[in-house]
Order: sequence, then C-alpha cells, then structure tokens
Amino acid sequence: MLRLLMCAGGLCALATGTRFAVAASGPRPEKAAALMRQASVATTDSNTEPADPPEAAPQPIPARMLGSGAPVPIPPSVLQARNGWLVSNGRTLVAVYAGAAGNDPSLGRLVIVRQDLVAGRQTVRTLDAGPTGALTIATAPLGSSVETSAQGARISVRRDDGPALRLDLATDSVGSG
Amino acid sequence: MRLAASAAALLVGLASFPAAAAASPSAVNAWYLYGSSPGALKSYAYARACDFAKSQPGSGVRLLLLDFGAARKLDPSTWGAIDFSNTTLSNGDILAALKGAADGYHNCHVRGGVDILYGNSNYHMSASGMSSADAWYAGYHQSERSEDLSDYQAAKGYDSETSDAASDMEPSWDGAAITKQLVNGDQGQGWALYYDFGSADGCPRSGSVDGPCNNGWHVSDVAYVSFHGLALPLPEIYYSANANQWTVVRKWSNANQGGYFFAGATASHGAGLTAASAWSTLNSLNSGLVDQELVCFGC
Repeated sequence: MLRLLMCAGGLCALATGTRFAVAASGPRPEKAAALMRQASVATTDSNTEPADPPEAAPQPIPARMLGSGAPVPIPPSVLQARNGWLVSNGRTLVAVYAGAAGNDPSLGRLVIVRQDLVAGRQTVRTLDAGPTGALTIATAPLGSSVETSAQGARISVRRDDGPALRLDLATDSVGSG
Repeated sequence: MRLAASAAALLVGLASFPAAAAASPSAVNAWYLYGSSPGALKSYAYARACDFAKSQPGSGVRLLLLDFGAARKLDPSTWGAIDFSNTTLSNGDILAALKGAADGYHNCHVRGGVDILYGNSNYHMSASGMSSADAWYAGYHQSERSEDLSDYQAAKGYDSETSDAASDMEPSWDGAAITKQLVNGDQGQGWALYYDFGSADGCPRSGSVDGPCNNGWHVSDVAYVSFHGLALPLPEIYYSANANQWTVVRKWSNANQGGYFFAGATASHGAGLTAASAWSTLNSLNSGLVDQELVCFGC
C-alpha cells in the first residue's frame, strides 16, 4: 500500500507502511494527488462513537442456476465457464461454476466458492474431473426450500459426450453419475 | 540540491536492506459480493469490512477490495453493476453498501488504515448492450461514487479510511477498446485510483514486445488499462505464467512509456500459487517494482 511519494532529482521513492519501493522514475503526475491522499490516511479515527450497524437478519438466496448473463468471479485463466449454480441460507453460501480448465479445454473443471458469512471466511476450491471436455451443470436443487440442504447436495454435471458426472458437495468430490 | 542528496541517501539506505524488500506481505481478504437484494448487500459489506478490520495485519494502510461484479448500464441514466448472484445494483445501492463497509471498518477498527475499493469488471459489457461511451460513464460514475464514499468517511470522522476504485479487467471478457473506456472515464472524473486486478490472459510469457493476447488484445492494451491515467496494476497472479505475462507488460511499458510499477498482487486460494508465492513470484521477476500489497480471494 503506497503511503508517501517523495521525488527529488528525477528519482522517486514510494514509501509504504512497511517497506519502500523505489523506481528510477516515479508514477506519472496524474496519479500523484491520489497517492498523496492515500499517504495522508491516519491510523485512528477522530470519531470515537460507533456507527449504527445495519439490520443483520439472514438474507437467503434461493438455489438458482446462473446462466451466461451472470458474471463469473473466476478468471478465464482458471476456468472457461459454461454455467453456474448458487444457494445461500444467509449464513453460509455455496456457488459452483462448471467448465474447462483455462489452459486446457479438454480438462473438465469445477470451481466451488464458499462463504461463511458469520465467521467471515471465503474459500475457493478447484476440482478437476479429468479429460472430460468442458462440463455443464445439468441439474441441481432449486428454490427456497433447499437453501441449507442443497449446500451438501449432489449436482449432476453434463459433459459434451460420455456419461454424466456427479459433484458431491458434502465431500467436494466428482464421480460418475 | 539538499533534497536530491537526501533522496540519494534514502536510495542507498534502501539498497542495504534487500532481504526485507523481498519479503511477501501478509495477505488481506478480498470478497466476491453475492447479494440477494440491495438491502442485503449493505449488511454484507458492513460485516466483511468488520471482519477485515479485526484481522488486518500490521499497522499500514491496506486495500479492502469489494468486487460487485460486472459494470452495467441499467437504464439511460443509471449505471451500476450486476453482482455474482445475478442481482442488479445501481450505483446508489453500491454506495450504500460501501458506506456500510465504512461503518463496519470503523466499528471494528483495531490498527492501521484502509482504502475501500469499489470493484467491478469488464465482464461481457458489449454483450449486455453497453457502448464504449457507456463504459466511459461506468468508469466515471465508479470514480464519482468512490469520491462520494470519501466524503462520507470524512464527514463521519473516519480518518483511518479512504476510498478508490478497482476493476477485474480480463482480455477474454471483452474488447480492449471498450475496456479502456472504464479507465478513461475514471480518469475523466479524476478522483479514484483505478486498481486493475485482472489478467494479461494470452499475452506472451517472455520478451518485451507488443505481442498478441487473448481476444484481440495486445501487451500495450494491458499496459494501458493497468497504468494509464489513475490506473495501477494489482495483477492476478494465480499461476507462475501470470507473473511472466505481467512482467512482459511491465517491460514493454517501461521501454515505451516508463514509470511502470505494480501496486501489489492479487491472489486466490485454490489456484496454482499460494498467496505469498504469487507476490514473491511477481517480485522475483520485477525486483523493487512490486509494492507491499497482497489481496486474496479465499485466503
């Protein structure tokens, strides 16, 4: 994180909270004001009163398929995504994305994003299914009645040719369907 | 003259601590936002910022990257994003969530400071019907909302906070020309640093020429979206090949424009490299040109 910008004699040093990054020529002038603004950030607040927290009631997301219109958080270098599936009970969330490995379209790949919204944890897990070609989520639990149970469910995954596969969310394993 | 001498002395001093300069920073968590509604998003952002504050390492100012999904034009006069649950969010909704994050960080603040980033992406902007002008306004309003957040932080006395913007700009997700407009719009508004936490997908892994990347992009295009105007590269380093590609971008940029450095690195648990290895791999190829920041999705 940039904390301070010092320039002299054509040399600029970017001072950070814990180290200095030195460049032979500094960042362009248009960035300087914003970098200096960052450098002025304090480490304490003048306001010592707590803010009112927002209402924290669990906000579930009914189980749903994610088609091509929904953005995918996994970069194409990791996953060439075909589709996805999502569910949350407001406390824990599971999203599954299916497709092929970014560097090998013959390698079927699933990526599972999990969020523990109570503990504040997020995990991203990649599962490779072998030389199956790109995978597509075919069937999965849907709706508001499965917001908790579906997080450990089995999901049917289709390949372009060959038998379907099954993703077991209880064990994070992929096997024949 | 004395200033120049002081700078020279600083550089000599820094050069005597190479081991410290090469140490990877501790990773801080970045978040993909899945909101069931705009209202849910505010409590979500509040909680994530509180988590961030409680676990923030060190005493420096760190980046809290909240990825709201794909930049979108929602109607003729409204910009925003579509998040990872396929929920449509106006910039007003996003600003409310960002204010929630500011409150959450303040309430749970332990040490150091934070730069809260309004993150989005170039995911399928053209396919959603956005023009290049729309993308320019998306960047413009993204920066504007970051400034609005800063005004809120200042009014509230949250002196340990500031705000900027970020975008996961991936060559495979949309064309170079329209993606550049996000950066141009941000610069046009003029407030927010614009962290590029995207990739150099398909770019060459060696050399320093303006070679081809995925989807018709070139190395120079990646250099543009990551360093033009207020842009700063916070590149996705999930595999060692990514570090090689970004090094080519840096070399091309420094050979042709100069001044390029990395604001840190973006990592992900579950990819090829650990977070610490991601930063170290990039730094090993660009020694002294990678700042001490490491954000991680899923660490």
